[in-house]
Amino acid sequence: MPPRIHTGRLPQQVPAQCVPSSQCVKAAQHGPARSFHASSRAQTRLRRSMYGWLNGPGAVFREPMKGSTNYLGAYDKSGKLARLRLLKRDAEENAEDEGSKELETEASIVQQEIDQGVSDEEREIRAEQRAVARQEAQGGANGENPMPKERRSDLRPYPLNSNFRSQRVLSEELREEVYRLVAVKGEAVSAISARLGIDMRRVAAVVRLKTIEKQWIDEGKKLATPYSQSVLDMLPKTPLVRGVRHPYPHEDINDLPVHPRTRAQLFYPTSESRQFTREDAAKVFDSSLLPADKRIAHPQLIQYEKWALEDLPREDQQARREKIEQKEKAQKEEREREEAAWKERTIRSVPGRRWDFVFQDISAENVGKDGRGRQGVGYRYGVPHQDRKRGLIKIPTRVE
Amino acid sequence: MPRKFHGLKKPKVRQDWSKENLYNLSRATIPTAANKTFFQQKWLAKSITRAYHNPHVREGTWTRMFDRRLPAVVPMNYRYLARHDGSELASGRGSGLTKLSAKASGKGRRGDDERPPEKTPYMHMAYHPLERRLDTAIWRALFASSTRQARQFVTHGWVKVNGKKMIYPGYLLNPGDMFSVEPDRVLYATGARKLKTKSNRSLQHKVEPRPTSRSRKVQRKSDPENEESPDATATTDSAEGSGSVDKLPDEYEDPKQTMKALRLRARQILDESKTKLSGKRQQELRLFARSVWKLLSKARGEDKTKSKFIIPVDESVQDLEATLGEIIAKIPIDDLPKEETKPADGSNPQARADDAYTARKEAELLHAALARAQENPIDARKPYATPWQPREYMSAFAFIPRYLEVNQNICSAVYLRHPVARPGLAEVPTPFHAETSALAFNWYLRRR
Repeated sequence: MPPRIHTGRLPQQVPAQCVPSSQCVKAAQHGPARSFHASSRAQTRLRRSMYGWLNGPGAVFREPMKGSTNYLGAYDKSGKLARLRLLKRDAEENAEDEGSKELETEASIVQQEIDQGVSDEEREIRAEQRAVARQEAQGGANGENPMPKERRSDLRPYPLNSNFRSQRVLSEELREEVYRLVAVKGEAVSAISARLGIDMRRVAAVVRLKTIEKQWIDEGKKLATPYSQSVLDMLPKTPLVRGVRHPYPHEDINDLPVHPRTRAQLFYPTSESRQFTREDAAKVFDSSLLPADKRIAHPQLIQYEKWALEDLPREDQQARREKIEQKEKAQKEEREREEAAWKERTIRSVPGRRWDFVFQDISAENVGKDGRGRQGVGYRYGVPHQDRKRGLIKIPTRVE
Repeated sequence: MPRKFHGLKKPKVRQDWSKENLYNLSRATIPTAANKTFFQQKWLAKSITRAYHNPHVREGTWTRMFDRRLPAVVPMNYRYLARHDGSELASGRGSGLTKLSAKASGKGRRGDDERPPEKTPYMHMAYHPLERRLDTAIWRALFASSTRQARQFVTHGWVKVNGKKMIYPGYLLNPGDMFSVEPDRVLYATGARKLKTKSNRSLQHKVEPRPTSRSRKVQRKSDPENEESPDATATTDSAEGSGSVDKLPDEYEDPKQTMKALRLRARQILDESKTKLSGKRQQELRLFARSVWKLLSKARGEDKTKSKFIIPVDESVQDLEATLGEIIAKIPIDDLPKEETKPADGSNPQARADDAYTARKEAELLHAALARAQENPIDARKPYATPWQPREYMSAFAFIPRYLEVNQNICSAVYLRHPVARPGLAEVPTPFHAETSALAFNWYLRRR
C-alpha cells in the first residue's frame, strides 16, 4: 500500500517532476537538501566548542614552551600564563629598594640562625643554599630567559588535583656527575646521597642506567638523544650546581614509612615525671618497632649532627666518622662472606647442557599444619595445585 | 573497550595524550553531589576514576588488587631528631610547650617554619596498586603516548624487564626492576606523525607556511650589521643559526640547504685566510667544496627524475662532515683576542690573523651543527616524521613521578619503589579532586 498523504498538508506549489513523497516534502520545508556523505556531516555543537578551545585557549599546549614546563595548571581560563600577570603586578609594586630588602632579609635570617644556636658549618651550608636559590630565581626572571620561574601551582598538570604536581627530575649534567662520583671516583652511595640530597635508590638507579648508556656508546648503538633533549626541556629539573658542596637537595632523603602499627590511636598513661622519648613511644605501638631515629635511611646523619652540637673539633668528628664508616664496611663484608658460605654449604649446582640444576635441601615440615605453607615444596596429598586451573594466568612475579 | 573512548557528551579523562583528552581535562569539574544519594555519588566517582585508572584491567581483577591500607611516608629532619629525643612533645601540660610544638609540627626544611603541617592526601592513593603494572609504568615514564599503546608495546615484545623480554602488560614491577622499551618504538610513540607513508614530513606542521627564500633575503637585508657582501652575510647567517638552539629546526629541514651552507663555508674559509693557510690546506678545502658541489648537482638530477634524494644525501653528509672535521683539525689555532671580529682588511696583519681565527671558529660551529643533524637525521623510512620532534600536546602531559628514575637516552627506567603519599603530595598521578577520589575509595571498601 502506498503511503497515505493528506492533500491538505502538502504545499501548494509542488514541483511537477517531484513525486509527492515524504522526503520531497521535507526538502521543500527545510530549504537546501542535506548532504548524504558521511564525511561532510555537520559538526556537532560539542565538537565545534572543542575545536574552538583547541584553537583558542588550548593552542598554547600544541607546542612545548621554550625553557619552561607547559601544564594546564599554569594557565587561566583564557589561555594566559598566570605567573606573567603576577610578575607584572609585582614589578609595579616594588620597583625600588629590591636589593636593600634582599640584604635585609639575608641579615635577619642569619641573626635568627645565630639566636637559634645553629652551628657555623650549618650556617655556611644554609647561606650557600639560599644564594643558589636566589641566583636561580634571578636567572629565571631577568637572565637570558625572560620567562619567570614556575610557582608551585604552575606545576599542576591536573587542575582539579591540588595534591599532585610535577616534581623535578635530575638534569643530564647532574646524572653525569653522580655517575662520575660513584662509578669513577668510587665514593659511597650513601655519602653521595646525603651530600646531593638524592635518594639512595635513585643514586644507584642513575649509576645503573648511566652504565648501560656508556655501554651503548662504546658499542656504537644509537641513543635517543633528540627525544631525551626535548623531554627534559618539558620537565622541571634539578640543575647541577658546581663549586657548592651542599647544593639545594633534590628530594627528601630521610623518609619515614608510616608503619601500620602506628596507624591506631593509642591512649597510654604514664607518669608525669617520666622522660617519655621516641624510643618508648615506638615500644608502646609495637614491642619490636624501632624508633624513627633508626628507621630513616641515613641514621648516621643524626650522630654527626649530635657531635656537631657537642662542639667537638672538626678533626675529631672526621676521625669518628671514618671509624664508623670502616666499621660498617667491615660488617657488610662479613655479612656477604656469611651469605656466600651459607650458599656454599646448602646449595649445590650441577651444570647441564642448557641449564644448571640447582639443588637445595628443604624441610618437609615447612608446609605447616594446614599443608599450605608458603615455604612448602612439592606435591601434597589433598592440596591440589592451582596452576593448571582454567582462567588462571601465570604472569611471572619477578624477573632476575 | 568502551565505544566512545573520547566522547564529548559524557567526558571521561583517559590515560593518553590526545587533544580530545586535553580538552576533556581542561573542562573537568567535580561532579555535583546535591541531587544524588550517597550510593549514586560513589558509583559515579568509581566510574569516572576507573575510566582513567586502567579500564583494561577487569573490575574483578582490580577489586582483588585493591588494598585499603594506603602507603605513606613522613619526611624526617635529622637535625630535629638530633636536637630532641621526643619528650618535648609531652612537656608542659602534656601536649608540648606551645612554642616548641609549633616548631616541632613545622618539620619543613627550616625549623622556624610557623605553618601548620600539611595533610597527607591518602585518598588520592586509592589506585596505587595499578601504578605497579608494567604498562602503566611505561606510560608514566613517557615512553608511550597512552597506556593502551604501552600495553601494545609489551604484548608485541618491544619491552624488556631486567634485560629479559616481558610480554605481560599486567606484570607487577618490583622495586629495583629496570624496564626498557625499544628506542625506535619510543620515538614513534612520542614523535610527530607523518603526513604520508613515503615522506618524512610531519603532519602537525602542514598548516604553517615555511618562510620562503625571498622573505629570508628580505630579513637579511634589513639586518644592519651584515651588509657588506651578500655572500658573506648568507654564510654567517647559517653559521649563527647552527650555533643557537632557536634556529635548529631550520638547520634540520633540508640537507640540501645544509650542504650549500657547507660549501659556502669552505669557500669563505679559503677566501678569508688565504694568506694564513698553507697551500696544502687550501687545496684540501677546494677539493672539499668541489665534492659538495658534485653531490648537490647529483641530487638535483635525481630530484628531477625520482625526487628521492633524501637518503643518499643524508648519508653522504656524514662523510663530508668527517672530512671537514679533519680539515679543521689541521688549521692552526691562533692565540689572539676574539672579541673583535672586524671585516677583512688585507693590509692589516692583525685583522688577517683575526680572520683565520673567526674562520676556524665558524667552521667549528658548522661542524657541531652537522653533528647535531646527524643525531636527528631525515629518514623517510622511519614510521615517524623526521627530523624527530615531539608529538603535539605532549608537553601538557609530560611529568615523571618520583617513584621512577628514567634515562631517556636509552629509553630505560628503574621502578625505584612503590608510590607513597607524603604531606601535601600524593605520588599517584590522578586528575580527580580529593572528594571524588575519596568516594571512589569508599566504593571499593567492601561495605557500601
